[in-house]
Amino acid sequence: MLKFLGSSFYENLMMALDTMRANKLRSFLTIFGVVVGVITVMLISSIISGINVAVEKQVESFGTRSIFLFKFNPGFTHGRRSQEERMRKALTVDDAEAIKNLASIETAVPILDVSNNLFGAATMVTGKNGKTSTAVKLQGTLPEIEKTTVQILVDGRWFSKSESDANSDVCLIGSSVVDSYFSYKSPIGETLEIGGTEFRIIGVLEKREQLFGGGGGNTDQSNVIYMPMGAALKLKPYADSLFILAVANEGMLEKAKDDVQDLLRVRRQVEFGQPNNFEMETAASIIDQFQSITAGVAIAMVVISSIGLMIGGIGVMNIMLVSVTERTREIGIRKAVGAKKSDILMQFLIEAATLTGFGGLLGLFLGWLLTLLVKFVLPSYVPWWAPVAGFFASVGIGIIFGLWPAWKAARLDPIEALRYE
Amino acid sequence: MENQNGVSEPDQNGAATASKTLISMQNIWKTYQMGVEELHALRDVSFHVEKGEYLAIIGPSGSGKSTLMNLIGCLDSPSKGDYWINGNLVSEMTDDELARIRNKEIGFVFQTFNLLARATALHNVELPLIYAGMRAGERNEKAQAALASVELGDRVTHRPNELSGGQRQRVAIARALVNHPSILLADEPTGALDSKTSAEIMTLFEKLHSEGNTIIVVTHEHDVADRAHRIISIRDGQIEKDERIK
Repeated sequence: MLKFLGSSFYENLMMALDTMRANKLRSFLTIFGVVVGVITVMLISSIISGINVAVEKQVESFGTRSIFLFKFNPGFTHGRRSQEERMRKALTVDDAEAIKNLASIETAVPILDVSNNLFGAATMVTGKNGKTSTAVKLQGTLPEIEKTTVQILVDGRWFSKSESDANSDVCLIGSSVVDSYFSYKSPIGETLEIGGTEFRIIGVLEKREQLFGGGGGNTDQSNVIYMPMGAALKLKPYADSLFILAVANEGMLEKAKDDVQDLLRVRRQVEFGQPNNFEMETAASIIDQFQSITAGVAIAMVVISSIGLMIGGIGVMNIMLVSVTERTREIGIRKAVGAKKSDILMQFLIEAATLTGFGGLLGLFLGWLLTLLVKFVLPSYVPWWAPVAGFFASVGIGIIFGLWPAWKAARLDPIEALRYE
Repeated sequence: MENQNGVSEPDQNGAATASKTLISMQNIWKTYQMGVEELHALRDVSFHVEKGEYLAIIGPSGSGKSTLMNLIGCLDSPSKGDYWINGNLVSEMTDDELARIRNKEIGFVFQTFNLLARATALHNVELPLIYAGMRAGERNEKAQAALASVELGDRVTHRPNELSGGQRQRVAIARALVNHPSILLADEPTGALDSKTSAEIMTLFEKLHSEGNTIIVVTHEHDVADRAHRIISIRDGQIEKDERIK
């Protein structure tokens, strides 16, 4: 069988290509479903990988040694948070201070979100140019933030210890804030009115990679203002949506995670055997979480594109059945000059596989073109396995759905076949 | 199977002539079931063909000659009886073994030529060699030579619709001969040709016969049959007459 495949595979392939050339329109219509199926595979897999890669980059830009501590899981949750979660007390500035003193920790800094005021309304930011916005993220923090990579200074300076202790009304602004309030001049030394208080700008922060193309909105990591913790608390007294960013010493991430966990369990009075009443994430764990979500999407993708490929396969089976009937006499001739059942079977299988394989290649090419277009809106990156899987799936579809027509052809009676008009 | 040492098996003719026996049919029956009725297309047919013979099988339509041709050509198996070809007991072979025999031992020539319409003359002639598993270079060489031997050496890249009826039949003959079969089996080879072309084809058959090929022509035309050296007449599924005329 294998020897046979070797000796006449090329013949069969040539014959199949010949048949396709002779029936161009029909062949194209036949493989249309396969083409669409493969385009789907290409597109969705490249978008998923693109998003994965972008998320990885973004999370890792916060530092691979970073440990994030939250009151509760900030990520995707199902439904309402549990009673226990809602009862959790907030992390505190003192917690951050205690973590900072751990031997395995390089530094730790609390970051307090004061984007909304006490009544839940967004705090207004007004510029001298008359622009106002409520979409800016307002964060209070401590001077130690300078030692982390969560935000990188491109101009000016971070606030000093004395400014922090004095609750000075100074701030650093993200690149999107620069764009909307200070399009023509350097913002350093200028002022912004935040929640009714005049803040002096002392620094500008680096633009952060955007996950989803341009656009501002809530996902814009550059539409942000940092200020001293005390100044933030003036905007929103009793604010408690605080998270702690800790940076482990080089090569001590695992040790640091254990240390931080032990410390916080003691400080937050978690009894032995009880689960943590706080959430701890690292770049790796956030990426893992995100990828478990995209893996789910990937499975949905496989199902959807399988349906497309199945429909394509049925089209192929239909046209192969027609082809076998049309070529009954040819089959008779081939049998008369010595073709065995397996020869005829192989001929039609290879023809079906060539047809769908060609559809697969066409789909890969069109899908690849589309991913180039998609790049303008979404991160997209074609993983190496997508074209390979797409191609083999389409060839497989040809073989599976070509089997019955090929078997029909193979078992034709040569006498009947030769007599067929 | 005891036929593996082969040629001496059909024993009625004695050892000396048996070595030259190509075809031996012994008490062959072919029966079709038509509803409750049994239709005997062939009843107890026996004959032998020696190597190098030029035999015509003649009979009116419905006489069973097509059935006999299908049996000789190993396209079909008899219901009863033994059929030996070149030392192989064909009547008990599987489909794949029959395919191998058709490939190696038999060269078909059909009334309607039965060429592959989309393939060139060369590819048509190569077809049996493909199924024999021959390599491309050797195959090409042999097919070229076969086409040259039927004086179509300059038509190798033509497709059937670019050739005249006589040329098509000669391509078919080249295809039949390319694998050096034991017999050339022609079914009404001139049925679709005008009389001038028919004469050319019959002359070609004579030439091939003189070169040592064994030829069996199945026909209902007497002037085609008369070119042969031996005529078997079939009527109602039985051999009516078996005469040597040359």
